[in-house]
Amino acid sequence: MNAPSTHAGLLDPSFVRELEVLRRRLEVRARSGQAGEHLAKRRGGSAEFHEHRSYCAGDDLRRIDWAAYARSGEPVVKVFRAEEDVIARLLCDASASLGMGEPSKLLVARRLAAAIAYMTLADAERAQVVVTAGGAIREHSPSRGRGALAKVLRNLEQIRPGGTTDLASAIDSIVRRSSRPGLLVVLSDFFDPGGVLSALTRASTAGHDVALCQVVTPEEVHPEGEGDWQLEDVETGERIELTLDAAAIDAYSKRFAGLCQQLRSWARSRGGTYVRVRTDESLEEAVRRMVSRSVD
Amino acid sequence: MELLGPSALGLLALLLPLVLLYILKIQRKRRAVASTWLWQQAKRDLMARSPFRRLVVQLPLILQACALIVLALAAARPATRGKTISGDHIAIIVDTSASMSARDQQTGKTRIALAKTVARELVRSLPPGSDAMILDAGRDARIALPADRDTRRMHTAINAITARHVEGDLGAAIGLAVSRLSQQGGRRQIYVVTDGNLARAAPLKSTAVPIELISVGHPTDNAAIVRVDVRAGEHPVLKRDQVQAFLLIANYGKRARELYVTMKQRNASDTLASRKVLVKPGQKLPVVLTFNPAPGDYGTGLSFDISPHDAMPVDDVAFGRVPAGRALPVYYGVDGDPDYWLLKALAADRDADVRRGSVGQLLASRAMPHDAFVIVQGACPVGIGGGDLLVIDPPPGDCFGTMVGAPIEGALMTSWREKDDARLKWINRIEYPFVGKARLLRASSKRQELMRTDKGVVVTDISSNARYATLLGFAPGETAWPKDVGFVLFVRNLLEQARLHRSTGISGPARAGQPLRAAVPIAVKEVVVERPDGKKSKVVARKGLAVVPDVQQVGLYLLSWSAPQAGAFITAVNLASAAESDLTRTPKHTASASLKLSHAERAMTNHREHSWLLAILALIFIVFDVWYLTRRPRKKRLTEAAPAGAATGKLTGGQAS
Repeated sequence: MNAPSTHAGLLDPSFVRELEVLRRRLEVRARSGQAGEHLAKRRGGSAEFHEHRSYCAGDDLRRIDWAAYARSGEPVVKVFRAEEDVIARLLCDASASLGMGEPSKLLVARRLAAAIAYMTLADAERAQVVVTAGGAIREHSPSRGRGALAKVLRNLEQIRPGGTTDLASAIDSIVRRSSRPGLLVVLSDFFDPGGVLSALTRASTAGHDVALCQVVTPEEVHPEGEGDWQLEDVETGERIELTLDAAAIDAYSKRFAGLCQQLRSWARSRGGTYVRVRTDESLEEAVRRMVSRSVD
Repeated sequence: MELLGPSALGLLALLLPLVLLYILKIQRKRRAVASTWLWQQAKRDLMARSPFRRLVVQLPLILQACALIVLALAAARPATRGKTISGDHIAIIVDTSASMSARDQQTGKTRIALAKTVARELVRSLPPGSDAMILDAGRDARIALPADRDTRRMHTAINAITARHVEGDLGAAIGLAVSRLSQQGGRRQIYVVTDGNLARAAPLKSTAVPIELISVGHPTDNAAIVRVDVRAGEHPVLKRDQVQAFLLIANYGKRARELYVTMKQRNASDTLASRKVLVKPGQKLPVVLTFNPAPGDYGTGLSFDISPHDAMPVDDVAFGRVPAGRALPVYYGVDGDPDYWLLKALAADRDADVRRGSVGQLLASRAMPHDAFVIVQGACPVGIGGGDLLVIDPPPGDCFGTMVGAPIEGALMTSWREKDDARLKWINRIEYPFVGKARLLRASSKRQELMRTDKGVVVTDISSNARYATLLGFAPGETAWPKDVGFVLFVRNLLEQARLHRSTGISGPARAGQPLRAAVPIAVKEVVVERPDGKKSKVVARKGLAVVPDVQQVGLYLLSWSAPQAGAFITAVNLASAAESDLTRTPKHTASASLKLSHAERAMTNHREHSWLLAILALIFIVFDVWYLTRRPRKKRLTEAAPAGAATGKLTGGQAS
């Protein structure tokens, strides 16, 4: 299969080739309910045989397996699995904190979103980009098929960092507006004092297959530069004065590990996915973990 | 355990700037981060708005403070005593003589301070359960603290000990200590802390109680006024009254001293007289300072000073008072004709101002000065005023303690006390010993007998504490003695003694450490004494004598009384002791079974110091602190389980705490 034309900024050709391999392994546990290419757990009208069951009055006579009837003398009906549509909602946090790092966390998040969108659209499914920043939510219209990839990538390209983080509102908004569940990929650093986990729980309860993709910089994992600092929050402008020494780094590391553990525990308990991506690590590896729905 | 250099504990003051460094707000570099709420745990100085941060107990601060404290303690030289005292009952005698006020050139401390340090050291070395008494050995022995086990009271008693301006006498203190300790059982020990400069070197021997003598101080150069005498004289040219001060300046040093000797009047800044002298090592140089007194100067105080001062300031000063002039008021009371020969002898002294009258007039006279020389003939009035007294040919009966007896005739003078009595001084022979008529005298003691005839005593000393008095059992005209030069000398001696007593105004020696006996009018009952330091006290006067028992300070003492007639006079008290001023002397005692000798330096330095242990401990603190500050923070795997609740609430809607 030839790789389609891609937006060079987000998906380079080698990456696309990798994605082509990985997209077959991408499993989405949530179905939108509309007819599609993904087999559903429920019985339906697809060509995929599921099981036999005894004929009951009112069954479609066309479903009777006459060969089986000839062998057993008992009328049985062939049951097929349904094939449903899949929609991947890519919630991209565009708060100012995502602008940190080199390359920036936002760029990594956009590339991840582009990769997931590619894999989704390549399977003739739908992908939707939702951007949240400074309390505002911008939902782009869902697109289907490879032909919509350019539009999706364009939507991703337009994202600029700014404002504060309010992931909970964005997730709630998505849950509220979406009539059918799907894959909900949250791309953020999750540096959000708001009630993110509660919102994620509500989304999971609503049937969404939630995948958490935490993008962090190496400095956020292992802060360096001991000394006396005045730390300024790029989102709120809040400043704190701190003497960065071993004790302070210890305290921060515990805090950060606690945050990661919260997300990890939530993903495990809700059957979700949690992938932590460092901006300096290989994106392919991160996508592999994402596709395998791992919990880091 | 004690500190040999406690002043090093001042290093502990560095704790203040150390803590200040930890709480001072510091200049910080700005750094943008994705979020600050993850740093909330490291909130020790979050949002500091005051100039100071809240002090948070941090390991580096604790380590640095510990290192500083231990270093300060190490510098203070903690040590345990190597010297131990064995004994159940201890007596600590501290020499408080004047030489103990001298400043030691090697240590810069006074000898009394060194002695007190040694005494405190001894108290700290006391074995548990033992008691100690503290004795203050000045001119007399005083018990500063009776036998006690409370070391706090011992320290208080030792701290209260001061050097006195007196000559030292350890014998009395040792005797007192021995007598007290002899009543105790168990092991006993006497410690004597002295510099060895003692006017009366005690034998320091005791068969009952062993003695350890701990000497303090080192031989030190010193110059002193060892003698002072102020007399009234006459200007050789102007023939006017002149005050003549005779000073003896001694140099107890190894090098010659150039000194300025000055004489000043009390409460006056002007110098009356001054001389510059060069005193060679070991020399005693007499110096005479004179000045012509004004009429109002009589009786005022004089101070003498040699400068520059040296190790012992108390002997660099001396005091005196302006004596009365040569003119001596002589009141001669006789009912009848005066004695011709006596008047003739009095007339030989041209400064004697003789006033005659009856005995009754003499008794009633209010104008008679209390220091006038009084002669009474033919009577023995008990309440007669004035100063020195000569009673001539009294009636039979008691006369000032001497019984005047039966008359004798035709006796010959055979003996007299020439050598040890100032009245009969220079009378080495009597050419005309015949006594025509006299009355035999019977003194209460042999020592009062002054002149004896072949038939009995005819001249006695009837002095009392209050006055200097002589009793003649005959009228001079009734004897051949006036024809002899010895009689004129006798009268002259009496007049000179009267002048001397008039000039000093006291009956006894005016030296610190001895009671000050002052002659006051007989009617005076109470005398107020103002000491050199301004303190006042009252003493009772009896029969014309006021005794100030506690004279421990050199200087000018003002004695005053208000009844029956107000009066006052100044008297001087001096140290003037070669024994105390010679600071080059060291104890001459030899060690024996009952006497152990040691020097305070050796006794004090007999310690085991532990500074090095503390220094090592401080080094450990510093190394640990450096390691702590320079170590790399431990990188924990972020996949590890974080402490419960480390980020609880943040992701579920809670607010950062």
